[in-house]
This record gives sequence, structure tokens and C-alpha cells, in this order.
Amino acid sequence: MEAIWLYQFRLIVIGDSTVGKSCLIRRFTEGRFAQVSDPTVGVDFFSRLVEIEPGKRIKLQIWDTAGQERFRSITRAYYRNSVGGLLLFDITNRRSFQNVHEWLEETKVHVQPYQIVFVLVGHKCDLDTQRQVTRHEAEKLAAAYGMKYIETSARDAINVEKAFTDLTRDIYELVKRGDISIQEGWEGVKSGFVPNVVHSSEEVVKSDRRCLC
Amino acid sequence: MAKSCGANGLGAPGSRESLPGAAGEAGAGDELSSLGSDCEINGGGGGERRVDKFGFIVGSQSAEGPLEEVPLEVLRQRESKWLDMLNNWDKWMAKKHKKIRLRCQKGIPPSLRGRAWQYLSGGKVKLEQNAGRFDELDLSPGDPKWLDVIERDLHRQFPFHEMFVSRGGHGQQDLFRVLKAYTLHRPEEGYCQAQAPVAAVLLMHMPAEQAFWCLVQICEKYLPGYYSEKLEAIQLDGEILFSLLHRFAPVAYKHLSKQKIDPILYMTEWFMCAFSRTLPWSSVLRVWDMFFCEGVKILFRVGLVLLKHTLGSSEKLKSCQGQYETMERLRALNPKIMQEAFLVQEIMELPVTERHIEREHLIQLKKWKESRGELQCRSPTRLHGAKAISDSEPHSRKALDPSPSIILPPGQVLPPKGRKNKEKKRDQGKVRLANGPIPEENGAQALVEPGACPHHQSKDSLSSRESEDTYL
Repeated sequence: MEAIWLYQFRLIVIGDSTVGKSCLIRRFTEGRFAQVSDPTVGVDFFSRLVEIEPGKRIKLQIWDTAGQERFRSITRAYYRNSVGGLLLFDITNRRSFQNVHEWLEETKVHVQPYQIVFVLVGHKCDLDTQRQVTRHEAEKLAAAYGMKYIETSARDAINVEKAFTDLTRDIYELVKRGDISIQEGWEGVKSGFVPNVVHSSEEVVKSDRRCLC
Repeated sequence: MAKSCGANGLGAPGSRESLPGAAGEAGAGDELSSLGSDCEINGGGGGERRVDKFGFIVGSQSAEGPLEEVPLEVLRQRESKWLDMLNNWDKWMAKKHKKIRLRCQKGIPPSLRGRAWQYLSGGKVKLEQNAGRFDELDLSPGDPKWLDVIERDLHRQFPFHEMFVSRGGHGQQDLFRVLKAYTLHRPEEGYCQAQAPVAAVLLMHMPAEQAFWCLVQICEKYLPGYYSEKLEAIQLDGEILFSLLHRFAPVAYKHLSKQKIDPILYMTEWFMCAFSRTLPWSSVLRVWDMFFCEGVKILFRVGLVLLKHTLGSSEKLKSCQGQYETMERLRALNPKIMQEAFLVQEIMELPVTERHIEREHLIQLKKWKESRGELQCRSPTRLHGAKAISDSEPHSRKALDPSPSIILPPGQVLPPKGRKNKEKKRDQGKVRLANGPIPEENGAQALVEPGACPHHQSKDSLSSRESEDTYL
């Protein structure tokens, strides 16, 4: 049985191959860090609840994508139904930073007529000695595109919570203000729905333990 | 998609949904990962490392449950039958193909598996026809564009298999050689990340050169277009699978339709990695035995069996009310339905034939063209298994004959004289100009430096024979 949530946001995580997308998501959803991670083939799918205000929970549906360019013909179908996105680059890999622009262009084309609220994520910040991208230039680039910038490390669990919850809060504000609205035929934002007809308005406390059988 | 707890990937058991408290920032550290320590991963452990009979480090993946052990006596019998088949392969292939199929369904004896896969796939013939070619490719530097991506993936393929556990170890080195060689062999295709686990499975059973040619056969004969730019072939197969599901598991079909879960979401990894990252290892091997013999229909059957037993009844669907629940269920498949004996039995009983797939292929291709236009990548025709591959290159061994009797003046008519003759005629046009033993590799020949061949040829045929013995 699922826990109660106010909204469901669908987020997409994109960026070059090996920047650490799957590891970041795993750290966030499972609280663990795998030293090695299978390269993602196609699209993968995770979920976690976030409490943004006491008693107000948002269910995040997080879509992990294969980074290799070849897979874009498959992954781009999932941009359209996302309200938010984490665009990752690896601070120790300059090329992955240079490709940020390309990723934004790529999504812009395929997300029409909707928009994705992106946050730019400089990942693997624990490897500061191997840094190839300065914080300053990343911040500048993010600002140019109207994005926030944050540096994270899945290995050392730095800013992982913050990256996701800040983005969730920003989207929540936009939804509250009416800048983003729930639309028929769009999966980006959904309002509280609980299977087995338990509505979010009801004061029912449910355990979020899920059956894994 | 679809990493299950019992699979060979890196997924570990545990809920993917939790409240912030449950997944704290720091505290819940690496010790939660039960998948081995740093030193194991980097191969620096030094100490004794226990591996299971497949070469996986014990404790690195959830237990498979009781493995079915073939009684030793039966195994010895099977080995001698397989040895007889391998020693008279062409004859068996031509006349007793069904018997080969039956024996593949029963499972190829582990000691002969690598050799059998080479024979079934035609990789062995390809190697003989292109002796020295792998060495040529191996010596070429390769395109840095691909090398970079390949290198980043090397340590991420079956990192808990003894062969691939050490960074830069022989397994990873061979994997690099095979994948790099493929990008040189088919520069227009390059490297696709899903090829790496496939190549790694091959390398667990044979040396690099043999693995390379088996990979070539998989990419060009069994699953053409799967790894090409645009990935159209896999998307088409997703549609084919879905359509077959309608017919063979209507309840599951209806459920997935209702929840708008595209086939691409659950089948991409299944098919592109030929289930090597999904099933328990003993099942992977049995599936691959059948796949090499019978072709892609085995992948479709496995997919259908898994879907049917996961979403095939209203009882099963009770806990799959939302899209996420369904996806989670497909990701963490019930180990019982993936268990070797059960799965193999189900695969054999599911009446999905080449014909179903081909018919559906035409229908889906038409739909594709109507909605998206012509395919952008034209792939060679898919061949459904060992027999089809063998028939497509009859008498390929003849091509190795020293007397180039194929070279004939144009227009000369040969008296009909059985199969041998038919083959000559068929290849006449193709081979005459090449004047070599490589009817299908004309494009590739450009890369082969003249003068290098004879030396390689002799050396190679020797080494391939040697390695066969090693793998006996």
C-alpha cells in the first residue's frame, strides 16, 4: 500500500554517459552508493516520497536515461511528460560540461509545448582534485539558461537530498502559483491519487512500507 | 530496466520508495551494499575469493536457489553426443537439425558450450573465412571517439565475475579488444553500450577472436540493427512483442495498454542484452543455448513468459494498480518464474514461431512507415537461428579450399551436380572479383593490408584449433 501524497512530479535525469546519473538516483532513492553501476540501457524508473512541508508529501517519479547518444531515439519520448529535470555533468570530465548546451537544445525540441524546470548538477564533487570545470563557469552557464546550479556527490552523499528537494520545492511553488497546471494527457504533474480509493484529504496515516514480494 | 534481485546486474534488494528519514544522507553508507568491497572490485584483495561454478564471486548476488545438477553420467553422455555432433557438424546441420535443436533445449554441456555457440552461430565459419582479420583489427588504433566510451564501460560489465573483477585485468582487456574490433569492423555502427554485456558473456566462454566473430554474428544475423544508430530495430521488436502479447497473454496486454506502459520501457534491456542482465545465470546460459540454435524467437518467448507470469491474471494485477507498481513488478521479477527448469519448460511450450514474428514484423513495419516514414538504418535480414544461418552460407567451408575453382569466365555453364554446384553458381558473381575466401566481407577487406594475410592465416588456424582444445 502506498503512502499518501499531495502531488506526483515526474522528473527526468539526463546527461552524458558515465556522469553518474544512476548512482545519484540510487543514492537518493535507496540511500546507498554502488561502486560500480551497470550502464543504463534504455530507460529506468525510480520513485521516492519527499516531504516538503510538514504533512505535505510529493511523490517523485524519477526517470533515469541511458547517456549514450544512440539511446536518445528512445529516451527523448520521455522528456515530454516530465515537469522537472536534473541535467548532470561530471566536474572531472570537461566534455560532459561542454555537452550541456546540446542536452538543453535536445530537450527543448522534444518537450514542446511544455517546459521542463531544469537544475544543472555538477556531479562527483568529491573528486575535487581532478576537477576540470570550475564552479564559477558552471554557475555562469546555469544562470545564462535560467537554471540553478548545485554540486553533488553520490559517493559522499553531498547535496543529493538538496538537489532533488530544491527542485521539487521550486516546481511546487510554480504549481501553487498556477504557473504549472495539471493537464489532461500530460504526466508531468498529477494531483494526489491513492490507489484503493483513499483520498489524500482524508486524515489517514498510512505506512509507506511496500510489499516487495 | 528490469534488474531483479536475483539477476546478474547490480540491483540489490530493497524498496525504491521511502521517506527522507529512511534514506539518510550520510549514515546509510556503503555497508548497505552487500555486493562486495572495494578491494574485490579493484582486484586488489589478494586473499582467497570464492566463486560459484559460473565464475561469479560468492555472495555478490542473491542466491539462485537450488541449481539443477545434471547427473554426472547424463552429462558425460551428453558430452560425447555433442562431441560427435561438433566433429560432424555440417552433416548434422544438414540432416539432423532437429536433433541439434533438441539437444540445445536440454542444455549444452558446460565444457562444450563455448565451442557449440561458435558452431551454431556460424562464428566459427566466419573466423575461418576471415583468418587474420581479427588480428588486423586488433592492431589498428581505432577511433578515439569510440575508444573513450568503450573504456568507460569496461569495468561495469559483470564486475562480480572473476574474469572481469580486476580493473585492466585480462577479461576487461579482451572486452576492450573485442568491442574495439567491432567498431573497426563496422565503422558505420560503432559501439553501442548494450553490446558490452553480450560480448562479456561470450568472453566467459571463448577467447577474444572467437568471441568477436560470435558477436559479429549476433549483431548481423540474429539481431540485425539492434545496436545501430537510431535503434529502430529494437523499437520495432518492442511493437512486435506487444502485439504477440495481445495474442498469447491478453490480460497482461490489456493491463499494459491501460497503463500506457510502452514495451520499450521493459524490453529494451531484456532484448538488447539477451536477458544476460535479467535472469539468474543458469537460466541465462540455457536461454542462450536455445537462442543460438533457434534465433530471436527465443527472446520473444522469454519476454512473453515473463510478462505472462507477472501480469497475466487478475490475481497478479491486484498489486499493480499504478504505472509505478507495474514497472516495479517487472523490474523485480519473481525468481520462481526465472528459475531454469520452469523457464525453459515455459519457453518450449509457448507456440511462438518464426512465422508469427515475421508476419508481425511486416505489419509493424508498415505501421512504422505510415507514422514515422522510412527506416533510417537499413539492416540485413534477420536470420532465425543456426539452420537459417548455415543455409545462407552453404558450403562455406569450401571457400577455404586451396584450389580457386570458383573463378570461371563469365557465362560458363556448369553441369548440375548437387549442392556443391549450386553454391558455386550462387557465389559466382560475388566471389570472382574478390578472388578470396570472403564472400560477405568485401567492405571489410579494404582494411586488410596485402601481404599480411598468409602469415596470419596459418598462425590463426592453428591458434583457433588450439583454443578449441583448451575449451574442451
